[in-house]
Amino acid sequence: MRPRLNALLGGTLMLLVLSTATLSALWTPHNPLRIAMRSRLQPPSALHWLGTDEMGRDVLSRLMAGAGTSCLVAALTVLGAVVLGSGIGLLAGFARGMVDRLLMLVNDALLAFPGILLALGLLAVIGPGQWGIVAALGLAYTPTVARIVRGAVLSLREREFVEASFSIGNSAAYTLWRHVLPGTVSPLTVLATSLFGWAILAESALSFLGLGVPPPAPSWGNMLAAARPYLESATWLSLAPGACIALTLLGVNLLGDALRDHFDPRSRPQ
Amino acid sequence: MTLAYALRRLGMAVPTLLLVAIAVFALLRLVPGDPAQIMLGDAADPAQLQALRESMGLDLPWPVQFLRWLGAALRGDLGLSLANGQAVLPLILERFQVTAGIVLLAVALAALLAIPLGTLAAWKQNSALDLAVVGGATLLLSIPSFWLGLLMLLFFGLKLGWVPVVGYVGFSEDAAAALLYIALPVLTLALIETGVLTRMARAAAIDVLRLDYIAHARSKGLRESTVLRRHVLPNAFAPTLTLLGIVLGNLLGGIAVIETVFTLPGLGRLMVDGIYARDYPVVQGTMLFTATIYVLVNLLTDLLYPFFDPRVTAE
Amino acid sequence: MKTGVLLAALAATALAALPARAQSPAPPLRASLNSDIRGTQPGGNRDFNTDTVLMHVVEGLVALDERASPVPLLAEAVEIAEDGLSYRFTLRQGVTFHNGAPLTSAEVLWSLRRYLDPATQWRCLPDLNGSTGLARITALEAPDARTVVIRLEKPAALLLATLARPDCGGTGILHPDSVAADGNWKKPVGTGPYLLGEWRRGQYIELERFAGYAALPGPRNGFAGGKQALMPRLRFVVIPDSSAAKAALLAGNIDVMSDVAAAELQELRARPGIAVLAAPTMGMSGLLMQTRDPLLKDARIRRAIALSLDVPEMVAGIVGQDAPANPSPLPVASPYHDAAQARYPARDLAQARRLLAEAGYRGQPIRLVTTRRYPNVYDAALAAQGMAAEAGLRIELDVLDWATTLDRYSRGDYQMMSFIYSPRLDAALSYEMITGPKDTQPRKVWEEPQALALLQRAMSTTEAGERQRIFSALYSLFMQQVPMIVLFNQVDYAAVRQDVRGVQPWASGQLRLWNVARGG
Repeated sequence: MRPRLNALLGGTLMLLVLSTATLSALWTPHNPLRIAMRSRLQPPSALHWLGTDEMGRDVLSRLMAGAGTSCLVAALTVLGAVVLGSGIGLLAGFARGMVDRLLMLVNDALLAFPGILLALGLLAVIGPGQWGIVAALGLAYTPTVARIVRGAVLSLREREFVEASFSIGNSAAYTLWRHVLPGTVSPLTVLATSLFGWAILAESALSFLGLGVPPPAPSWGNMLAAARPYLESATWLSLAPGACIALTLLGVNLLGDALRDHFDPRSRPQ
Repeated sequence: MTLAYALRRLGMAVPTLLLVAIAVFALLRLVPGDPAQIMLGDAADPAQLQALRESMGLDLPWPVQFLRWLGAALRGDLGLSLANGQAVLPLILERFQVTAGIVLLAVALAALLAIPLGTLAAWKQNSALDLAVVGGATLLLSIPSFWLGLLMLLFFGLKLGWVPVVGYVGFSEDAAAALLYIALPVLTLALIETGVLTRMARAAAIDVLRLDYIAHARSKGLRESTVLRRHVLPNAFAPTLTLLGIVLGNLLGGIAVIETVFTLPGLGRLMVDGIYARDYPVVQGTMLFTATIYVLVNLLTDLLYPFFDPRVTAE
Repeated sequence: MKTGVLLAALAATALAALPARAQSPAPPLRASLNSDIRGTQPGGNRDFNTDTVLMHVVEGLVALDERASPVPLLAEAVEIAEDGLSYRFTLRQGVTFHNGAPLTSAEVLWSLRRYLDPATQWRCLPDLNGSTGLARITALEAPDARTVVIRLEKPAALLLATLARPDCGGTGILHPDSVAADGNWKKPVGTGPYLLGEWRRGQYIELERFAGYAALPGPRNGFAGGKQALMPRLRFVVIPDSSAAKAALLAGNIDVMSDVAAAELQELRARPGIAVLAAPTMGMSGLLMQTRDPLLKDARIRRAIALSLDVPEMVAGIVGQDAPANPSPLPVASPYHDAAQARYPARDLAQARRLLAEAGYRGQPIRLVTTRRYPNVYDAALAAQGMAAEAGLRIELDVLDWATTLDRYSRGDYQMMSFIYSPRLDAALSYEMITGPKDTQPRKVWEEPQALALLQRAMSTTEAGERQRIFSALYSLFMQQVPMIVLFNQVDYAAVRQDVRGVQPWASGQLRLWNVARGG
């Protein structure tokens, strides 16, 4: 009963977030970038449902546009990490030996590398903006993906159906594609949902340190960071993006749980 | 055998650390802006800038700079901070004490809460209790740490006035006062990590509950509470331990955000300040140190793992 | 629920710890600094905060007064020779160093020689050895124990102003005990009202009252005038995060919050028991335009950008009523800032559009570099972007960290840049900071030869009427060519708890804690 509830609740939340993100590209109640210094820090009203921020911009509109930015950054980060990490993991796990050791060396170095410097360095080299953050976070999550995929591949390799594929003369590439890759899908899907959540959180932490999505484009992270000085006098400014982040993470985690249960039914052969 | 294994693992870490050192060095040099410029600010005259760069040794070719730094680092000398001339290694050790104290306390606190909670939830899987625990945990880990920190600061520091808002006192000086100063950061960190660890502990416990020997224990007529306490809880601890290692390793380098909110002189802030000030020796030293700690913590958890492995105790 | 138990436990520990802390002697006056100091050598490895702390410890022959003009401090009188080539300082009597030794010309000579030694790496050496063309000291003499003479190669209008600059450490006169036998720096043994106490790096710096301080008569006047160490101990607490500093002030963990960020002002002002104080400084915020950029080299486009901005509205949005819009490179606090300097064309969107059409601008994006390090700089960029859009200008922001911004600035690598200049304490220096040849000094904004010639004259004459005429000519040339848009002079904000008296922000922006007391 619970997996269904998880899937339902998580799915609904994510659907809501994603459709808001999509909608924001087409329509928002106000222009999220429009500055009106005369009407700064207004509490919620009929005109501005969630009030205005320190520049007089409509918070609801920024929240909607921010859903787009935050989700895009998170999704691209996950995509990057999964593609790169699976590549490394598959190669390392399948080739083993020297290649494996070399790849895992780089992987461990990357894992031991604090993300903040990575972010700052890449942002400086690539240029500030969403792409820098995607690259930095994507790279920071790659070793985690690589490790999990490598582990899965190493255990799959020993299975009969992989041996069989080799014995009937299939090439390594075909075997990898046809028999090994599908086996990594379930751990990857579960991991990807977690990564999506982490990426949204990480972007907000980077924003706090002044390294997040560069304003004026709104992201939930930079809205939250910008609202800090007004935590007491204009609480809605921090509550709105804070709640959005929390709800999205809740949704994504519930969905992840549901996926785990789906891929990993009670009667797992042990 | 364990010693040989540990030594081999340590040997394997050497190239990893070297790679980290090279990457940090290169990345720092690629980032625009340099320490001489920051020191002189907007009034920097080109000749003055050049002279300062020379005195800092920044005019040398990169490989020369790197090899010099590496050579000294191997002898245990991480150089002097360009910002205030302090020796980097003692600086790092001093700051590390602050960070380590907070992280260890927070993670211990979180583990104490999370492992029983996770096991309980797993045992009552799919019940209302489970739903509540998982929901609460998920909500906790969904909160940005700096936001929670600020709320805590406002509530306990400002509204109630229970704890000072800024400052730090070392444990060796005045343990009670020290506790007072680190209460909020520890609590913030512990709450968020509780969220992460509870979910992990629950997943681990579910795996253990499925194992044959649990069924066997039950069939022997042991009480459920005994099964839970004697078999499930210890065994669910093993996989959690690995994750604990990862959490610890990450936190030790990455609590810059918490340290900024609570104005703590820790390692994370040292690094972030160093990055902003382009204080090359400080950043290089901190990175190398953090990476080493990360490697050591992971090694330690791996070495401890067999002690908690289900198959060992199941026999 | 367990969390609740835990909280209670922590709170109990906290309460248990309180009485022990209450018994310690009266706590020092605590003021926030947004970063740790870099060193203890005046004018050495320093930044703004370092200067602030050290100006409590050391004093120079001359110091800045409340309007940032140099006046005697350790000198009783300064005589300038007819030809402007020698300066004769007569020292005050009864002044002692922190180690009890009396101040004589020997220590002054020792200090000045040390500063002029390249090995000291004094920040202001290039300004006094002729490298920057400001002044060149040829000889230092001490005819008797109370007299010191500085000789120059050419007359220099800015010698005294330079000696008094806080970033030069006020050319603080030190006792040779400041340096160890091997020539290494120990600590500043100066003549200031406070002496250096404990420095806990990354946490705080304490200063202790110097009992033997010889105060000048009269009220406080800039870095000069009558200074009283009213509090026995001062503590500068390092709090990098402005929200944390605000919380600390509200909770009573600090008494004075310096350098208050604009965003925090609203909540601070709304609080009973907290006073917010403000004064314009001589620092300047403005929008730089690269006159060598293919697009912006056209003065019509630059003027169109200036005309598209409603500067007074913009400034009101950023700093409220605390500083007026100031279109001139001269700070409002400068004695040379007269009515002519305030003339400024009003916003004119139609005219801006016309100029843009004339120049053939067709919506090419203009990149504006800005940083979050200084919120005002960022706010200005954001407001400029919005306002310029109404004239059809497409400005895009590049938000960079401060070090990168500074790097771009010194290489001239930008189309537009929202920038903040540190205080320049003389009118000639205000123009010097933006004017110069870009080939050798790419950080300079304006390379008009005519302006450079005028500037040279302003640097060498001390006659006020002549200087005023030069600055008027410079201003009209500046407004004609628009190499940058000056917005306003930064405001020095301090927030204090109600029981703190005597804090007064001023032109240099540096916090002064002498003549400041708590309670009573």
